[in-house]
Amino acid sequence: MRPLVIRKLIVDERNELFDAQGMRLAVFPSVYERIRDYAAEILADCPAAFREGTLLEQQLSEILKNGIKHGNRRDPRKKLRVWYDVRKRARFIVEDEGEGFLELDAWNEFYRRRQTALHEEDFDTFLGMAGYRGPRSDEEDGGNSLIAALEYWNGGMIYNAARNKVGVVRWFTGGSGT
Amino acid sequence: MEWTVAELGASGVEIRIKGDCDLYHAPAFARDILGGIERGWRSVRVDAAELVYLDSTGVGAFIRILQALKSRGGRLSTRGLRGAPRRVLEMSNILALLGDEGPGEVRR
Repeated sequence: MRPLVIRKLIVDERNELFDAQGMRLAVFPSVYERIRDYAAEILADCPAAFREGTLLEQQLSEILKNGIKHGNRRDPRKKLRVWYDVRKRARFIVEDEGEGFLELDAWNEFYRRRQTALHEEDFDTFLGMAGYRGPRSDEEDGGNSLIAALEYWNGGMIYNAARNKVGVVRWFTGGSGT
Repeated sequence: MEWTVAELGASGVEIRIKGDCDLYHAPAFARDILGGIERGWRSVRVDAAELVYLDSTGVGAFIRILQALKSRGGRLSTRGLRGAPRRVLEMSNILALLGDEGPGEVRR
């Protein structure tokens, strides 16, 4: 039987991951078609060892996408603020101008049930709920970005009280991140 | 992102994907493959040796293809997955469901 691994998205307004002191700031209009351009711009000076091929760019793009698509609803008048520091580890704070991730608790419950099905090797149930569908999801959303993110951001993934700002950090050991 | 489809018998296909299966390209890829499944594909093998980028929209495409095949008694398998795309599928707990044949040798 597979080990039961259940992680959670956490709300903690006072978490140290929201301390932006010493971090650089980039501000972008919420243009969906430019999400990967924004990630590439932020990572322009990132050490190659932190990139892990395309993995860091992909994980950062997911957070930018959540802010632009779900937070700011692709409204280019709304800004996405990204604080970043990739000197000793990959650390980001991303804030949108939306109403916040209101389904956070529902997502945690979805994830718990999904992981339990995987642990019990109930693959039919697992595949049936392989993707999360919230009230504002479309067919291209799957909740998969958050599942992978909880593992990837090994130093934490924390939301603020309004749930429109997320802080993440990934530490690297010998460049592998493991 | 580019993909090519080669028929393998009456209801089998091998799909070779190349480049970035991302939020901009994965939806069209999914629509194309799901259309093939609607038309009768039941065994789909994806050769991902030249896939360099996979994001959650791409993972979602794989899930929808897998669900469509399973519901029709079909089968999905992958080969050549390596690097970041493989890691993304691992972290999403999806790789184990794909009938993955391993990363294989690097194609030059």
